[in-house]
Amino acid sequence: MKVRCISLITGGAWLLFTLPALHAQAYRAPRGADGHADLSGIWQPLNTANWDLADHSPQAGPMWQTGAIGAEPAGQSVVEGGAIPYLPAALEEKKNNFASRRTNDPEAKCYMPGIPRANYMPYPFQIVQSPRGILFVYEYASANRLINMGKPVEPVSDTWMGTSNGHWEGDTLVIDVTGFNGLAWLDRAGDFASDKLHVVERFTRTDRDHLQYEATIEDPSVFSRPWKISMPLYRRVEKDAQLLEFKCVEFAEELLYGEYKKK
Amino acid sequence: MKTLAKENCPLLPGCKSVCVAVLCAVAAGALFAQTKTPAKTWTSPKTAWGDPDLQGIWTSDNSFGVPFERPRAYGNRKSLTDEEFAEREKENKLLASSIEAGVTPKAGYWLQHEGVDYQPYSASWSEFAHQTSRQTSLIVDPEDGRLPALTPQGMMLRMAAIAAARKKPRPESWEDVNMFGRCITRGVLGSMLPVMYGNGTDILQSPGLVVIRYEMIHEARIVPIDPHDHPHPHLPAGARTYMGDPRGHWEGSTLVVETTNFIGGRVGIGPDGAGVKYSEDLRLVERFTRMSDLSIQYEVAVSDPKTFTASWTVAFPITEEPGYQIYEYACHEGNYAMADILSGARAEETKEGVQPAAK
Amino acid sequence: MRGKKASVPNRFAIVVSAALLAAVAQVTAHHSFSAEFDENKPVKLQGTVTKMEWINPHAWIHIDVKDESGKVTNWMVECGAPNVLFRRGVSKNSVAPGMEIVVDGYRAKNGSNKANGKDVTFTDGRKLFLGTPGSGAPGDTPEK
Repeated sequence: MKVRCISLITGGAWLLFTLPALHAQAYRAPRGADGHADLSGIWQPLNTANWDLADHSPQAGPMWQTGAIGAEPAGQSVVEGGAIPYLPAALEEKKNNFASRRTNDPEAKCYMPGIPRANYMPYPFQIVQSPRGILFVYEYASANRLINMGKPVEPVSDTWMGTSNGHWEGDTLVIDVTGFNGLAWLDRAGDFASDKLHVVERFTRTDRDHLQYEATIEDPSVFSRPWKISMPLYRRVEKDAQLLEFKCVEFAEELLYGEYKKK
Repeated sequence: MKTLAKENCPLLPGCKSVCVAVLCAVAAGALFAQTKTPAKTWTSPKTAWGDPDLQGIWTSDNSFGVPFERPRAYGNRKSLTDEEFAEREKENKLLASSIEAGVTPKAGYWLQHEGVDYQPYSASWSEFAHQTSRQTSLIVDPEDGRLPALTPQGMMLRMAAIAAARKKPRPESWEDVNMFGRCITRGVLGSMLPVMYGNGTDILQSPGLVVIRYEMIHEARIVPIDPHDHPHPHLPAGARTYMGDPRGHWEGSTLVVETTNFIGGRVGIGPDGAGVKYSEDLRLVERFTRMSDLSIQYEVAVSDPKTFTASWTVAFPITEEPGYQIYEYACHEGNYAMADILSGARAEETKEGVQPAAK
Repeated sequence: MRGKKASVPNRFAIVVSAALLAAVAQVTAHHSFSAEFDENKPVKLQGTVTKMEWINPHAWIHIDVKDESGKVTNWMVECGAPNVLFRRGVSKNSVAPGMEIVVDGYRAKNGSNKANGKDVTFTDGRKLFLGTPGSGAPGDTPEK
């Protein structure tokens, strides 16, 4: 009787200790051809961060003629730890951006979205892990960027998509992005940064069909301290999923050049 | 030639000239023939997973200056004579040294087109060939190196476009500017054919994929690779894109990319997407064959039965230039010129008292 | 893939199509000069660089030009595509605010203070946009 009791207790204790450990055992992504975690595939966010990184309620769209289509949905904040920490002057600029967002959002003009915004646009993007580096191909506006995985390189000029230098920390892809031109916005609500923007991104595959995306955003001329966003990205699991094109220049020309058209 | 010789020549006295001769013959052969096989002395590199390795940043700069269509004087000749080659090489060297000195070159394009309309900026802003090509034209088939005749439909569309353009002395809107000028696309062929700058092509590979990425206008074509007998079907006919829908397979060490599903009637088939506009029936079959550590032979067969009465082929090498990098080419974002062109047209109309467009 | 002619086009068609298809020329730039600038309005500007936009499809230099009365006008000068120069070692600091430059060009058709930079030099006549000497002429390629 005593032996059985002890066995039961030992067995139970073993289960109590190992079950949580088994449950918490980290997912180990399959290896890519480069020997690192395989992040390749077509990914897309499912949140409304592109509308507004902070918590937001539904709002009317830009034209009553399209009714509920084009209206802004509700969404939860992807910003960790509260509001975006703008410096006072920068907060004024954000408010001005918000007021003029219908025509001044670079997305309305079909300009390239920059980083981190490219990763939470409502369009798919594809990650290709090659020996020459890791390529991100975004369906939106044919934007793409090649992550340099070798010795870090300095930006040659200020660009829309920045200069990306990457390395692995275990199974997490860490990308350090600088060399921005300060013209991209962070969302449709007028959140922005300057050409001093510095973004550190982390991509971790959490299971077969999900990536966890985190970005730390730092810009001493706009924000009082670095701040962080995080969100899951979802794999496009359709058997024949492929990127198409969203070459939106044609949809933005009236906005940009309409005043110069022959009347 | 120098770089190849140094790389492949074993360090034996007296052998250099033999090496140079062999390599020159191989390179020359590569410029003539349509089916290419690399020299036996060199092994084509492979990726870690065993596919032929085409990766790198390649440029068509060395074919800048070679006419797209063959001048009639050459007849059916695919390559220059030694004399003609020496002349062209002299011209390339003059171009290069002029550009470096910051003076207007008296060679090539700059000599053919004088005057402010063709030379709005100094030649510093132009690329130039680092090695001289022996080709009489980029079009290698048909035999005369020239575009085949248009079909009646193709002709009608072309003449209608020219007539419409004549009615508009100035652009009325962005729609009267070409697709490159609007920073939308240059099309697939237009992105490969050598022009004054922006000739960089970045090829990346991963298992089952090849990505072809162009500097100008920052497009990336993702080519899924399938076994030839088991191809991944193309998108349905209703799904069309400007860069088309590519499907790839390997034939020996050649990457073959077949592309269909183009948006038709908007982009031209020539350099920068100029020239005759192709229809939605365009089908391109591209072949990429690594010829050496520093070059890939690029070949594209163009078939558009709605526009051309026959298919035709373009071929030229793309080469690796030391230190050549691709930079962001954010075209639309910086396109001040579009607003300037349209507002300039309106200013001229006001001066001339031109009436508003008919509603 | 061999070309296969469907039928023999008539002679007129051949002649016309040859004319139409000819001149698929090497394109010089993103758009033609005469669409944007007026060759009847030459300008010569001397001024101080306030900003250099290393952008595509054309780089733009912003300069402050002071006239005899001391009035300052801001001009924009259109140049070529910067990526060519980046490949030759020109950096974004090669043209910096404060530099004195001279521009020979033609004014924009829309009458604004814009011109193309046909010739852009320092005040001593040296060209502004030269890359590193010896960067890639034929025969100049460093051995790999």
